Amino acid sequence: MKELIEYIVKSIVAEPDKVSITEETDERGLILKLEVAPDDKGRVIGKQGRVAEAMRTILRVKAARAETQVKLEII
Amino acid sequence: MEIAAKSVEQAIIEAENRLGVPRDQFDVEVLKEGRTGILGIGDEDAVISVSPLMSVEQDFTQVAVNVLEKLLGLIGIEGRVQVVSEDTSVTLNILGDDLGILIGRCGQTLASLEYIVKIIVSAQLSEWRPLVVDVDGYKRRRCESLERLAAHLAEQVISRRCAMTLEPMIPSERRIVHLALANRSDVTTHSVGEGNNRKVVILLKKK
Repeated sequence: MKELIEYIVKSIVAEPDKVSITEETDERGLILKLEVAPDDKGRVIGKQGRVAEAMRTILRVKAARAETQVKLEII
Repeated sequence: MEIAAKSVEQAIIEAENRLGVPRDQFDVEVLKEGRTGILGIGDEDAVISVSPLMSVEQDFTQVAVNVLEKLLGLIGIEGRVQVVSEDTSVTLNILGDDLGILIGRCGQTLASLEYIVKIIVSAQLSEWRPLVVDVDGYKRRRCESLERLAAHLAEQVISRRCAMTLEPMIPSERRIVHLALANRSDVTTHSVGEGNNRKVVILLKKK
């Protein structure tokens, strides 16, 4: 899950070095916490959250195949 | 394109990822060697400048295919990518078994996948061009059936002399309906509702 988001995010931000994703698990499933450079935040969220929404949709496909739930949080 | 990283080697790996092509398909010029300071003081990033070797035209399609293949691999979907080039646009058609999961409800997952491919490609090449991502011709078939539906409903609107509202649809599908009826002199279209609930209304044109 992490690699998928990492590839997308690092491809669209200006500072790929500052991308950090941490994984946590709770009773519902996996939580991905994404941190990027302040100036890149807009890029990973997108206009009206479009980029974040698209990433979550794609993540859901992978999660559905693995029969689990994944949440993406942008910090 | 300039890329900065901790070392020249890392910058080259980064370049491969961003361009989506292996090392032998782009030129590298080292602008700064970079160095490691003591205890993190005096660190300097290595900076390289890269330029792809392929022609721009091929480049766009090739980069788009590489990005899509990479994404499919990361999602864990086995599919082949077929390139369908038309005069103004490029369609990447994913072929394989059991790909319904990639289409999603009303094609929303496919729309998200297409959007992600587009933003990655435009970030890599700094240019935006029309690009369609399809699954086994789904969009083409959907487009044809929406055009038939639009024509059929337009007839109903005329015979019943009342407006008709379609099911909620994603923007690209509403666009197909609007365009299908754009040239008619007897009916007109517009959209109502917000977000995922936005739908097309077909109504009689005021004389």
